[in-house]
Amino acid sequence: MKFFTEIDRLLRGDATRASSLRAGRIEIAVRTLLIACASLGALYGVFMGLFAAMGPNVNIGQLLASSLKVPLLFLLTLVVTFPSLYVFSALADTKLRPLETLRLLLASVAVTLSLLASFGPVTGFFTLSTDSYAFMKLLNVALFGISGIAGLWFLRKALDSLFDSDRFLPSPAAEPDLPSTPKKEGAEGASDDEDEQEDDDAVLAQPLPPPFMPSQVASRLPPVRRTSAEAARARLIFRVWTVIFGVVGAQMAWIMRPFVGSPDLPFELFRKGRVSNFFEAVLQTLGTLLN
Amino acid sequence: MTGRLAPVELLLRSRGRFSASSRRVPWNQLVLIILATGSIYGFAMGSFSGLTALWGQSVVEPERRILQAIYSALKVPALLAITSAICLPSFFVLNTLLGLRDDFSAAMRAILTAQGTLAITLASLAPLILLLYCSTERYTVASISNGLMFFVATLAAQVMMRRHYRHLIARNPRHRVTLLVWLILYVFVATQAAWMFRPFIGDPQLEVAFVRADDWGNCYVKIFEAVTRFTSGR
Repeated sequence: MKFFTEIDRLLRGDATRASSLRAGRIEIAVRTLLIACASLGALYGVFMGLFAAMGPNVNIGQLLASSLKVPLLFLLTLVVTFPSLYVFSALADTKLRPLETLRLLLASVAVTLSLLASFGPVTGFFTLSTDSYAFMKLLNVALFGISGIAGLWFLRKALDSLFDSDRFLPSPAAEPDLPSTPKKEGAEGASDDEDEQEDDDAVLAQPLPPPFMPSQVASRLPPVRRTSAEAARARLIFRVWTVIFGVVGAQMAWIMRPFVGSPDLPFELFRKGRVSNFFEAVLQTLGTLLN
Repeated sequence: MTGRLAPVELLLRSRGRFSASSRRVPWNQLVLIILATGSIYGFAMGSFSGLTALWGQSVVEPERRILQAIYSALKVPALLAITSAICLPSFFVLNTLLGLRDDFSAAMRAILTAQGTLAITLASLAPLILLLYCSTERYTVASISNGLMFFVATLAAQVMMRRHYRHLIARNPRHRVTLLVWLILYVFVATQAAWMFRPFIGDPQLEVAFVRADDWGNCYVKIFEAVTRFTSGR
């Protein structure tokens, strides 16, 4: 029951309130998020595999395979796209630390899968009332698309409240610190590895130092301008990432196919032959349906 | 983020001992980062023919294909190191000529940090390359996408280079010249070095090889010959 309460809090946006995001945390455990992704994805996978299970070949295997593949699809897409997102947001020196970013992305995947699971009965209803494989494929593409957009909307809302928060204003204490930084580094020359690691965390936890510019140039730039530029950079990175996530997800789904399972083909965990891609396949299916 | 990734994070954010103003340059960490992340990308890059074999297309000696990935894992960091080693003497002399010797260690730090950024960015793009290899059997697509990944990583490295050079240029505008010369020289040498070190991806129709030693030559001459052939219509 506690599990559903947690998911409910996530969907209501209570877990990603501006106040907690500002403190750099999302009030929901990674374990809960992973369990949510696995169970909600599996639930929709069952509805998705129902078409093959009820077809002439009665492919029960497809039902099981789809319930494993749906959560795996989202998590693998995250695995493929997260490293580059991390590198580019660190390079732009945004406030987002890797673990928090990962948790936020997992939360958006959980939101996507919650909506998708809630579409389960719709898919089930159409499975019972239609014979057209092409229609079922496109219906699933549409439902995945809608859920994905909802997940990204959730992500964007969370990021907005994060970037607009005053956490980005450099604290006045940061500036007097700067001249002393080189001295600190020099003094620690002989420290061993463990000390260095603690030091790493301390350095990363510090507010952003002023940009590396001669003082006369830096003094002409108001600090707020840099922070808003930083938020703009972070937003741009996330926008580009969103597109990459979508394309990678679509292609990942193509590689992991079949999800619905053609009624004319025997059950296979993965289809052989990987030439072509997701987008070509959707256009072809659309052509089949219209002809 | 603690533990082993912390130096990477500090490097990308130019903080702490990786900041442009830090006195102590963590040379050994920089070299380790370049070796490790360069190898990760190299391994992914060289796994094309192995993956193609896995997916059932007939290839020459499928069981030896893993070697191509291992070769590339060794060759990517080597490519970065050798190119830098070739370019450094002229860079050093140029810096001295322009009276920038006092800043040379800062310039070296900028160069190594940029190489680190290049290698880290490449490693972060490795899963994308693997996904792409799972989606195509065409060698041309594989080589174009790897070119694209190197281009993106070079842009990231330039961001880092400029970040480090900003305060050097503010101190002496002549640093602009050395920055530009380094970029041109590096790309010029790296292109030829990459040609000599090929194959990185490994054409599934050709044999696995550490280098294609029988056909070294000069890539610029080859390009020129190809262009002449094309224009003369032969």
